[in-house]
Amino acid sequence: MKHLSIALVFLFAAASLAAGDIHGKVTAKGLRDSANAVVYVDAIAGKTFPAPADHAKMDQRNMEFTPKVLPILVGTTVNFHNSDAVLHNVFSPDACADRFDLGAWAQGEVKTNTFKKPCFAVLLCKVHSEMEGYVAVLPTPYHAVTAADGSYVIKDVPDGTYTVKVWHPKLKPAHKSVAVKGATQEDFEIAK
Amino acid sequence: MAKCRRSTLVGFLMGVILVVLYTPSANAIPAFARKYETSCQTCHIGFPKLNAFGEAFRLNGYRMPKETEDQIKMKPVSLGSDAYKRMWPRAIYPSDLPGQVPLALNVKMASVYASSIDDTGRTLIKNDFQFPQEANLFAGGTLGEHISFLSEITWGENPDGSTETELERAHIQFGSFLGPEHLINLKIGKFAPDFADGFHEMLLSTNNGIDTLFSFNPIGLHGGAELADSGGGVSLPSNVKGVELYGVGAHRFFYTVGVANGLGVANGNTGTGSASKDAYARVDYKFGGMALDGDTTGVKLPPENWRERSFRVGVLGYHGSGKGTDFPFTDDAGNAVNIQDTTFTRGGVYASWFFNDLNVFGVALAGRDHLNTFDDAGTLENSASYRYRTWFVQADYVIVPPLQASLRYENVNPADHSAGSIRALNASLSYFIYVNVKATVEYHRDLRESKNYDLSTILRFAF
Repeated sequence: MKHLSIALVFLFAAASLAAGDIHGKVTAKGLRDSANAVVYVDAIAGKTFPAPADHAKMDQRNMEFTPKVLPILVGTTVNFHNSDAVLHNVFSPDACADRFDLGAWAQGEVKTNTFKKPCFAVLLCKVHSEMEGYVAVLPTPYHAVTAADGSYVIKDVPDGTYTVKVWHPKLKPAHKSVAVKGATQEDFEIAK
Repeated sequence: MAKCRRSTLVGFLMGVILVVLYTPSANAIPAFARKYETSCQTCHIGFPKLNAFGEAFRLNGYRMPKETEDQIKMKPVSLGSDAYKRMWPRAIYPSDLPGQVPLALNVKMASVYASSIDDTGRTLIKNDFQFPQEANLFAGGTLGEHISFLSEITWGENPDGSTETELERAHIQFGSFLGPEHLINLKIGKFAPDFADGFHEMLLSTNNGIDTLFSFNPIGLHGGAELADSGGGVSLPSNVKGVELYGVGAHRFFYTVGVANGLGVANGNTGTGSASKDAYARVDYKFGGMALDGDTTGVKLPPENWRERSFRVGVLGYHGSGKGTDFPFTDDAGNAVNIQDTTFTRGGVYASWFFNDLNVFGVALAGRDHLNTFDDAGTLENSASYRYRTWFVQADYVIVPPLQASLRYENVNPADHSAGSIRALNASLSYFIYVNVKATVEYHRDLRESKNYDLSTILRFAF
């Protein structure tokens, strides 16, 4: 019975990948690892996506933004948590994020900000200047953030041809035209 | 004539003592090996002598040419995120710290067998275990994108058991802060001046420094006659307290200009000291091999990183004033006098030729000193200019990577012709037990007198 369950899990996983995913690896040249690159489908002509009602979450934990890079759809509201026993602040100097500044707040409190325009907004903390995070505000809900080995999977992408872009906080962006049909592999290389 | 010869031998005796007591410190800094998790051989032909990459690393402010984040294995501690650069001047510009305290230690054990002739013509033999002879504590690293630092505290033990501790170097450096990368770098502090790049004592393959170049004393009753025992009045300073601009342009052109403290009142000298500053400059060009900024475009280099075929040539100059600093002497009539080196100028050429395993390099330098002699009452007795010439040539050869040989000839023609030329030979054979453990046998001899020599066996390690 246990073996049957495992087999079914693998079967579903394989079926899921076949149902319109873009997957592959991003190689971030010159960096320690290839984590935190955002791979996303660019705006699709004639198609809009409503902002989700659910809020996204960005935490400040152990003096770090967690996750380091948060991809969201345009119009999404992000809840900014503080899980540390010290005061934190979040602000962004980016005009595309309306240069918001949420002030300072203590552990357990939550502040929110809605990101209304496409943007790669840097998040900084005035209390701890070494902290750095990003919110990638994207035109479509088809996006993923790479793992340390550069792997990514963008799930549930309908078949079609799209411009797929890669953005990284430290490297130059890249893009490709990708024809998606079932499980589609596409690798990228980005550098300074 | 016999008196003159005796005087020369006494001079050389002082030189031998100088060699024994003031051997130069070695500049091998494992703190960088730890930071990049790389072998000493990445930068050294055999420590402390740098290879072409090590020279580019040094000139680049102790950073690898075209350095990338993944080359730095010891993750630095952030003192402000990169994105905070955009906040400047509304926030302090971000920086970082080395991931660990970037310390390194060099230790040198030496067994010195020295022969010399004293005032009475008697041969003196000293056979001394100097265990340890010297230890150097280095701190070197980078702060943020443009700043680097290097400091060295040296502890040494003299044959009489006394010890000395000195802050030999401590400088901060602002790299590539203006204009194209590598072109404009600023160094402030106490440092080895870059006019001696390529032949400074701390980066030589030999244990003995080039005393005829750095320790010749150009001050005397009839111009300089001998090596200095210590302190001021030397031909060229091996370390300066000052400010230096240097840079590399078009990959292969090197320049440096600096301003440094002049002669001071020290080591038995008297007077008010000089209020003026010394100035120096050097320009170089390197043909072939790895470029001075590490660029290898259009150059085919062998995988053995001590090898290349290149030729580097440059000119250097140094100008200063010792006005106000008295050097006490006794004149020919037995009267006490003071001599001031009111203005001094040095000009020279440097060349270094690499041909695979062989590196031949040398300097020819001419010096001019305007010496004012005052009697006890401060009345000017004599004012005259004196010239001296000095040169050396050294050949370093990598027999096999662990076994390296070096041979050097040194010569000074002092302004005081009665002293005769000072000629010396230095030969060494080094065996690298490990890349950071080096055993050297070195022979240094006064070519004017066969009984003036020293034979040293040195074990040096760095960690």
